[in-house]
Amino acid sequence: MVFIDITAEPAEQDGTTILEYNLASLIGLAGDLKGILAIQCPGAVAMGITEAMLGMEVSELDGDVKDAIGEIANMVAGGLKEGMLPAGKKIELAIPTTVIGTRVRTSGLSGASRLLIPFTCPLGRFGIELRYILS
Amino acid sequence: MNGANNFSEINDKIIESTIEIFTGMVMMEISVAGEPLVKLGPLKNSITGMVGLAGVQKGVLAVHFPKQLALDVTGSFLGMEVTDIDADVQDAIGEIANMLGGNLKTILSDRGKDIQLSLPSTIYGEEYAFSSQAEVDQVILPFQAPSGLFYVEIELER
Repeated sequence: MVFIDITAEPAEQDGTTILEYNLASLIGLAGDLKGILAIQCPGAVAMGITEAMLGMEVSELDGDVKDAIGEIANMVAGGLKEGMLPAGKKIELAIPTTVIGTRVRTSGLSGASRLLIPFTCPLGRFGIELRYILS
Repeated sequence: MNGANNFSEINDKIIESTIEIFTGMVMMEISVAGEPLVKLGPLKNSITGMVGLAGVQKGVLAVHFPKQLALDVTGSFLGMEVTDIDADVQDAIGEIANMLGGNLKTILSDRGKDIQLSLPSTIYGEEYAFSSQAEVDQVILPFQAPSGLFYVEIELER
């Protein structure tokens, strides 16, 4: 859908690694798995993904980038929702929210588990972070 | 549709519960600081607590504090001194978003049964813009606290 080859690096469970990013799209998860899923991208990666996905040139972190990365957050969360169904776990999704800025950090509630999966693509690295409590 | 106009009932109830939470739990006097806004510029040196709403009504509730006010709120809420944005501040600000989200859930649906909240999360940084995807109605309620202004933002999917 995005037409970019990406490689997943080993997932980190409850680690402390923090990826540098300028844009994060976050989506809340409710139900049997409560949490928040975030796609975290350096600006260049977010713009490159948007260009590949929408087939247009992008030169700044604008509304198109926000929508593209937000849509990826939505799709990844949707995949997680589908993936948890066979295990009998129901997840409801909130709406994606995007944060664009400099030296931004996000964090969850203490007590939640954290999973971070860094990905490498020709444009650089980006991360998918899940903070959650599974009931 | 103009978000601010359609929110009047929700606004009143959220204002009421924000004041209740601050007076009764944070132990800080606050007041409404003007009319609701529909848009907020970039946030500088701030921390945002947010919680997602899922189910029959999807959305996000966020509360944006400038750093010093966030430290004061945490100090007063937890009864301890805090000097930087640490895990206590993140938890306190996340918990305020969570309490407001719980109230919003109850306002939006009878006893809040068919709406569920996500876990609260916090965002902080030197400068950032916070926005949802296109198809939402949003409103931003400004409040005055002793050491600064803060905003409660509600975004609801149409």
